[in-house]
Amino acid sequence: MLGERARLGGFAIPGRISAGGGCRLIAARDGWIALNLARGDDRDLLPALLEQAIAPDDDAALERAIADRDAAGLTARGREMGLAIAALDETPVSPAVERLGPCAQVAPPRRAPLVIDLAALWAGPLCGNLLRLAGAEVIKLENPNRPDRMREGEPAFFALLNQGKSNVALDPALNADRAALLALLARADIVIEAARPRGLAQLGIDAAALAAQRPGLVWMTITGHGARGEAAGWTGFGDDCAVAGGLSAALRDASGRIGFVGDAPADPLTGIVAAHEAWRAWHSGAGGRIGLAMSAIAATALTEERAFDPALLHSELAEWGTATGQPFPPAPMREPAAPARPLGADNARWLG
Amino acid sequence: MKAGTRLKSAVCDTEVMVIRCGEGTIECGGAPMAEAKPAEAGALNPDFAGGALMGKRYVDAGGKFELLVVKPGKGSLSVDGIALGQKEAKPLPSSD
Repeated sequence: MLGERARLGGFAIPGRISAGGGCRLIAARDGWIALNLARGDDRDLLPALLEQAIAPDDDAALERAIADRDAAGLTARGREMGLAIAALDETPVSPAVERLGPCAQVAPPRRAPLVIDLAALWAGPLCGNLLRLAGAEVIKLENPNRPDRMREGEPAFFALLNQGKSNVALDPALNADRAALLALLARADIVIEAARPRGLAQLGIDAAALAAQRPGLVWMTITGHGARGEAAGWTGFGDDCAVAGGLSAALRDASGRIGFVGDAPADPLTGIVAAHEAWRAWHSGAGGRIGLAMSAIAATALTEERAFDPALLHSELAEWGTATGQPFPPAPMREPAAPARPLGADNARWLG
Repeated sequence: MKAGTRLKSAVCDTEVMVIRCGEGTIECGGAPMAEAKPAEAGALNPDFAGGALMGKRYVDAGGKFELLVVKPGKGSLSVDGIALGQKEAKPLPSSD
């Protein structure tokens, strides 16, 4: 899948700018930070982050300003502001996978689950795709006023991730749509969402209450850095979360180079772990909320690779560090079995 | 006022970070906000009691002011008596 995305995007092995182009590694006074500015108005926050006037597109001035500041202070301040930012030498603050509420044990079901995938971008939709391949019925839910931008941004990759899913479009900010969404969620066996907890609450969706009402419901909450405490408010995407998980620190230690490892690897790793955990919970009848923190999942993957074969990991990272600018390793390309369904194409079927 | 300044409400728990700022008085719950909290909280003006939501950005119609709520509270935000509106949620990136 990484190879497919690299091929579709014409990606080169990244150095200090991520393969997708949205995230960059910048030297602070005492260490490196990864700052993701992929969203349209992220750069409007830079003067407040740095407490100085700065032209929105002046990357040289941005680097100079960051060079004068501490990595930890910048990271804390950026996170408070909702920026996706990480320090290269930080340690994830949450467990990779954790129960976020009581586990409601029911008799193991003997049927295929109905999955509602509320997530956008990559990690959540990959989880939905893997559950579909395992036999689940999957509905991708999109907000028509805030659709999954990967639909437009990377249409071929979007089709790979979302092929075979029904598509329902509802705007939870509208009362009628919210009622329809809650009715649909009441039928779900597995829910996948990747909103920050307060964002979900502000939409009137109470994950804990829904999970409590329906024993056996498996509710997957994907976050950048955790679903509890201060970290629940932090934003994280695939590249910065991989840095927070220690992948760029491991690259530096193995190769002496500062750069991104892979292409937003916290996304696919989280999608795979989420699908595995959701499937296992559903089949054993162990309902409830399960939290997945992308930065900690990246850290766990690194730890497992190191335990599996430390010399191999070291040589792979050393090689990656010297391959900056070269194309990604070639990968065969799958054709999606069917195009992704248009926005709201299955509203009548599921909301009727 | 400098971008990045933190302001506290004089009447409730709300705290904001200034993202962008023009000429005028930034208020919460109908009372001017300041870097320090007054010793005693003032009264919340019922006309400015809609609340400030955590993590949301609020803007004026002219695009001169933008405030980020870093601590939520009961008061709503205004500049010189004119209520600020909630900025649309940040669109996610088209790719990451």
